[in-house]
Amino acid sequence: MDGGKVTVGRTAALYAGAAVLRLAIFTLLPDLPDLLTGRVEISTPVTSFKRLQEGLFLYNHNVSPYDGGVYHQAPLFLPLFSLLPNALSYPIFTYLLYIAIDLLSAGALWRIADSGEAGSSALFTSPRRERRWNGFVIAAIFLFNPFTIATCLGRSTSVFTTCAILHAIAKAVSGAPFSAMVALSFASYLSMYPLLLLPPLVLLCFDRQRPERANKSAVSFATTHVPVVLGVLGLLFGMSYLITGSWEFLSSTYGVQLTLSDLTPNVGLWWYFFIEMFDSFRSFFLAVFWLHLSCYVGGLSVRIRRQPLVVLTLLLGIFAIFKPYPSISDTSLFLAMVPLYRHVFPLMRYSFVIAAVIMYASFLGPAFYYLWIYAGSGNANFFYAITLVWGLGQSLLVCDLMFAVLRDEWELERPEMAGKEIRQI
Amino acid sequence: MSAQPLPSNDNDVPITTIAPREEKPTSAKKLPPPEKPSDVRRRSHVILSFWLIVLLLGLPIWWKTTTIYRADLPLEDMLEWADGKACRPVFPLRISIQATSLQDQEAQNLLRLTQHALDDLNDFAGHHLRLQLGDEKQDPADNGSALTIRLTPGEGTTATLDPYEPILDITYPLNTTPSPTASSSALATYIASQLRTTFAEEQATISYLLSTNSMPSEHRPLGLSPETAESLAKRTTRSLKYAPTYHLTFSLFTSGPLPSSWDIETAIEEYMKPVLDVLSPIHNFTIDTQVQLYASPGVQNQVLNKEDLSSFINAAEWPLSPSIGGAPTINFIVFVGNQTIASPSPDVAPTSHSWLIPQWGTVYLLSLPGDTSHVAAATLKQPLLTFTSHLLSLTGTPESGSLPLRLSTLARIRSADLLLRASSTLGSLARLAMALPSISIPSSVADGVTKTMSHLRLACDNLGGTEGLAHARIAEAEAERAFFEKSMVGQLYFPDEHKIAVYLPLLGPVAVPLVMGLINEIKAWRKRRREKAEKGAEKKEQ
Repeated sequence: MDGGKVTVGRTAALYAGAAVLRLAIFTLLPDLPDLLTGRVEISTPVTSFKRLQEGLFLYNHNVSPYDGGVYHQAPLFLPLFSLLPNALSYPIFTYLLYIAIDLLSAGALWRIADSGEAGSSALFTSPRRERRWNGFVIAAIFLFNPFTIATCLGRSTSVFTTCAILHAIAKAVSGAPFSAMVALSFASYLSMYPLLLLPPLVLLCFDRQRPERANKSAVSFATTHVPVVLGVLGLLFGMSYLITGSWEFLSSTYGVQLTLSDLTPNVGLWWYFFIEMFDSFRSFFLAVFWLHLSCYVGGLSVRIRRQPLVVLTLLLGIFAIFKPYPSISDTSLFLAMVPLYRHVFPLMRYSFVIAAVIMYASFLGPAFYYLWIYAGSGNANFFYAITLVWGLGQSLLVCDLMFAVLRDEWELERPEMAGKEIRQI
Repeated sequence: MSAQPLPSNDNDVPITTIAPREEKPTSAKKLPPPEKPSDVRRRSHVILSFWLIVLLLGLPIWWKTTTIYRADLPLEDMLEWADGKACRPVFPLRISIQATSLQDQEAQNLLRLTQHALDDLNDFAGHHLRLQLGDEKQDPADNGSALTIRLTPGEGTTATLDPYEPILDITYPLNTTPSPTASSSALATYIASQLRTTFAEEQATISYLLSTNSMPSEHRPLGLSPETAESLAKRTTRSLKYAPTYHLTFSLFTSGPLPSSWDIETAIEEYMKPVLDVLSPIHNFTIDTQVQLYASPGVQNQVLNKEDLSSFINAAEWPLSPSIGGAPTINFIVFVGNQTIASPSPDVAPTSHSWLIPQWGTVYLLSLPGDTSHVAAATLKQPLLTFTSHLLSLTGTPESGSLPLRLSTLARIRSADLLLRASSTLGSLARLAMALPSISIPSSVADGVTKTMSHLRLACDNLGGTEGLAHARIAEAEAERAFFEKSMVGQLYFPDEHKIAVYLPLLGPVAVPLVMGLINEIKAWRKRRREKAEKGAEKKEQ
């Protein structure tokens, strides 16, 4: 598995293989992309390609894309996609764009893996760091993950966010804090929630500064780099304002995520809860859910201060479970980061259970959705129950990975305890 | 290649997560090494980071999002309206006297005497008749007076109401004009008693309305005899609840295949429209018509007894729409068949053809020759005239007096009724707001209350005029809207125990680790402080 030397030929073969696989599916099964586009597991109200088409149509006819309340995505997608030929008559260009984005993400992941940050960060070096996969394997795992492929085929716009987040991390580990901040701003602009990754990302940038121009104080480092994010975000908002001609996009994109006004079912935990919620408590529980999502940032950044990349990985996992409109695309991003921790896999306790639960949920989820929506022999509880199982599987993975990482840290302090059973006191 | 290889794949790694059994006793006895201070500090920071979010963001948000918005309602004023303290319903009716044949001096004198006589007769302060000398050039309808008395000299003392104008014609023998020094006059007494008779019904109705509402006793008129009260109650139950718009449905039901068409449009235009026009300041009307063949009534008897009349309507089969939507429906049914109504005494031939169903409408039995296929407008004259008079009683028009007087009385009765209803709705709303301190009161309700009160004030000041009716109408509609505000109705019953059910399932599990973490941390901190203090004391002793 730990492939030997990575040659240019092998790299090209991997990328070509991934691209050819996607193109083959696009061309041989022409109905599949549209089928996947309509699946709630892939397309959420804030990432759906169908809704993007609707917004694009309105935009091209000089109507505000947010009229009609269907389009909830960032305005800058519109000029990008209107540059491409019509997705219905020449779908190949859209396919190529999405394939390119996937390959770019894989490239960023490859750089992260090759940096070795996962095994040895500035403040901590794992005794097991030798047992790791190289960038080729990690990129291959990402590119051939069925969830990634399904997201690409479903043309969900969350792939852009994935790409931006991975590039932000890749830039951070390669000692380019400014580019990392710009990339994170793009991710936040597209989906809002990546803004919560800012504290651990700043820590990661701080730890991986180039020695020749290192800033010794974390506070002054943060005060010089956080404004970059704000500045780029302001610039992007300004451009969006110029494109759409009003600030309406703020409430239609971020407002929808904050208030969950579109209750289309998805694989997350919010929609069912807020269907059942008393109206007078709705705003309170929205705030509770958002606070719950964001309260992990501080705690994890403090606890695993020595390995900021772990914090980023765990947060991506938590977001994939608890964000308002999650899809399998968020899971695929989390699952792309997890193999970086190959060296702590032996410390994980529930790998089999996790794999079983995630596969169980991925097969039964579509079936239960079918029973509810099409067959009518089930109800909403069926689908919600399976999304609970899905969330359970992912949270098990998050917890187990966290346990393994912490145990790895702990064993460095107490080498005599390696391999013994431990118990929390 | 799976993303998470199973541990069994990694046999070459000399790590197992299960400790050998025999080691357990020794490891249980062995105490773990003391925590490093940096770890302790880190743990406090982690707990602090969670609690900071809870305290700095969570609590303010909880406070802001669950505070119940209660717009300020003028509760005192609302209750005052409901108790009738805010408005004393007074109907000052101006009555002008036109006496062209009398000298000014004489007329003044007569007016003074009549007013005296009226004041002596009147026992109800709310309903006050005030006389004034009318200008003969002025059109009697325009001068704002409720009634004009036209005095003309004549043979004897007679009084007749003009059927088309609010005018009371009184003739008097020439010798009955009072002398300027006289303290009483037969003519004045006569006029006063005539006026009182004319307005007796209105006065009784209004005092009945006031007495059924929660008016304080000092405003409540006395001397309403039980029989009058009973007949008024009967009439009130017969008439429909006030609505600005009524929907009239004219239905032709035939027992056989014929007649199958009728000239209802012309008939309505000719016989009913005039009355509808006269009623238009008080009500709007919408009209539809229908024809139903082979309609079988609920009672098949040839001769209908009094008991049969109530079950004559075949509610199951006849397409008579109930009052859906805003306007209540009044049904007018022409039934073509050969049934007749039994007369009250057997020796009198049956004469009546119609009966009124309280708060619902009228049925008219029309017998036609068997081969009539089209009912002409002329045939419908009698039914429609009956319907018209029934419509007046269904809308609550008083029964005595000439039509113009009855209508102006109707306007006054309705404004009093609406005023009282709006006031009592305000009172209910105020009591509801006081009884349920946890109900939210949106600002729209406060707006409605303010509007209601300002219109009530205007209505109260203009009672007796058409403006008063308009304001009372708006006030009543606003009061109803405020009372039945949707977001309030849903919260009518939301006890505090429900809040536990809302908060606990999610926040309980979240709170347990947070609170336990905080408690443990505080305990550990106090222990460390004590140890430090002990150490310090030991050092000092040394």
